[in-house]
Amino acid sequence: MTQKTDDWGLLLTAALDGDSRAYAHFLRAVTPVLRGVVRARGAALGEAGCEDVLQEVLLALHLKRHTWQVGTPVRPWLYAITRYKVVDAFRARGRRIDLPIEDFADVLPAEAGADPTQRADIDKMIGMLDPRAARLVRQVGVEGDSMAEAGAKLDMSEGAVRVALHRAFKQLAVLRKRHVE
Amino acid sequence: MKTDDLIRAMAGDTVVGPAPQMRLVWLLPALALGGVALWSRLGLRDDLALALQDPVSAMRIVLALALGGGALWAVVRLARPGAVVRLWPLGLVALVAIGLWLWAFALMPAEGRQMAIVGKTMVGCLTTIPLLAVLPTGIVLATLRQGAPVRPVLAGAVAGLAGGGLAAAVYALHCTEDSPLFYVTWYGTAILAVSAVSALVAGRLLRW
Repeated sequence: MTQKTDDWGLLLTAALDGDSRAYAHFLRAVTPVLRGVVRARGAALGEAGCEDVLQEVLLALHLKRHTWQVGTPVRPWLYAITRYKVVDAFRARGRRIDLPIEDFADVLPAEAGADPTQRADIDKMIGMLDPRAARLVRQVGVEGDSMAEAGAKLDMSEGAVRVALHRAFKQLAVLRKRHVE
Repeated sequence: MKTDDLIRAMAGDTVVGPAPQMRLVWLLPALALGGVALWSRLGLRDDLALALQDPVSAMRIVLALALGGGALWAVVRLARPGAVVRLWPLGLVALVAIGLWLWAFALMPAEGRQMAIVGKTMVGCLTTIPLLAVLPTGIVLATLRQGAPVRPVLAGAVAGLAGGGLAAAVYALHCTEDSPLFYVTWYGTAILAVSAVSALVAGRLLRW
């Protein structure tokens, strides 16, 4: 476990330095653990519902990654964000849960199940972005375009694409907040 | 969108926000502005240099700065999820203040106590400190917003202690009340009021 956490720290350190491969690697490494936490708590939501909550957690993690202090353990930081967002997500869905931190230690990592893409919350929210931003998010996420490729398709400079993508994620968090309140 | 796709899109976004505490640098101009406003509207006390040499009077500023500083120190941690937050320094400042109050109370003859507590400038103190606290508290709340406080109400209360404490230190440059019976009572009341309002605002403002 310690070994794994150290890896997470190295990956996240590189990610904060702008290494997007390290960042993707970090996100893929923590996602099964976070999915396990969400599923252990939210069985009643079903697999698709849990995946929605997981994506909310990931979005928060993404937008708040600058609050991790390089050199400190990743785990307490990661779990604190996860607990906060999971409780928040369940409250938004009309359920109250308590999430003791000890529960995180023995949760089994979980892989994504069948593909519940059709009516996922994130798609609804992406649909509410301005069309250009929505296209950009899908292009980078689904098509796997680089910034340069996405920029060429949308007739934007690479720098403008970077800014637009970042704004799109911030906007998604705002939409999500409105969506649940 | 599949979680894998979301991850790929997020990895493409390499814009990382600044560390939350960077926003605290705005406190310096804010406090300077508060000092200038105080000086131009109310004036500094004439015997300021002399008062600063009197330990009992100087304790107003020492305690206010210690509270403000301790609260800022806690705020930086409250902005980071999972960070260990230590509030005991704030409790220590409160204890020293209460001790000082009791000491002054014991020293003061019974018939003078009420006058010393009420003082002559209670209203000015209770209005000016919160006014001076608005900007610094706002900056501290903005710092927390840039962070990710998992205990928003507590974070807001501590933000109010920071802003209120620093504001009280600025106000002390004008205030001529040297008795702990006055300043612990009314500075304390003003700071706690700022803290309460800040906590109330933070419950909504600091959600993320």
